[in-house]
Amino acid sequence: MPDPEVKEEDVLARASQGDKDSFGFLYERYVDRIFNYVYYRTGNLHDAEDLTARVFQRAMNHIHNYTDRGVPFSAWLYRIAHNLVANWHRDRSRRQEIPLNDVPVLTAKGDHPEKNLVRSQEQESLLRLIRRLPPERQSLLILKFVENMSNAEIGQIMGRSEGAVKSLYHRTLLALRDQLGDQVISLDSE
Amino acid sequence: MDKIENISENNEELDALEAHLAGTLRPVKPSRDLIVRLRGRLRMPQRSEIIIRLRDWRSLFLAFGGVMSALLVLITVARALYYLFGRREG
Repeated sequence: MPDPEVKEEDVLARASQGDKDSFGFLYERYVDRIFNYVYYRTGNLHDAEDLTARVFQRAMNHIHNYTDRGVPFSAWLYRIAHNLVANWHRDRSRRQEIPLNDVPVLTAKGDHPEKNLVRSQEQESLLRLIRRLPPERQSLLILKFVENMSNAEIGQIMGRSEGAVKSLYHRTLLALRDQLGDQVISLDSE
Repeated sequence: MDKIENISENNEELDALEAHLAGTLRPVKPSRDLIVRLRGRLRMPQRSEIIIRLRDWRSLFLAFGGVMSALLVLITVARALYYLFGRREG
């Protein structure tokens, strides 16, 4: 596991000079997050694996171009991931629709099985609706809920101000709520 | 009064939607196998490969310089011949 005490700037400097171990450190630190992002954007394990590998391959080939201009390394990685996922969707849309069967549906422990089943169906429906959102809004929701990022951090990745992210988030919630209107998912608080 | 009720209803709906989103979009932990496998797919260029690439650039530069010099010599000779024979004919 990567040591949190190690200064990232030093590791980045060494990695940009071709040091394998330093890049390995960065890989270990960010692979989970990038995988999560790509996984939720693509909806299947196989493509998520392939795209995650390509994100790091591209990062490794271009790390000498990365200069810290107030943008964290993670934001740079997410941008690479965002571009690769966008290309993947473009290629994919020419051929077929994205399968949603692989999307994980997690159930809370201790719930009654019937309740679990309903909850899973609700989560599936919600995931389907999220997939229909514009890519930018999907990214926003993934970064907010899966990665637990603040609006400011999301803004750095998306190249928007904190206020713009907040506003986009609110509009996304409203759009989702409107789309959910006629669906099975109940928004009543339990 | 109705307006206030609508706003609070809206807020409650959005809060519930956020709770649903939080329950649905949960982090997925990739297996250690997957992480190792992905790492195996990464190919860091060896130092020797970088040197070879740089050498390639150097030789390419030399070849380009050589071709340009040869062209310059050819043009100069051609001009000299043209002036030499051109004048005689004129």
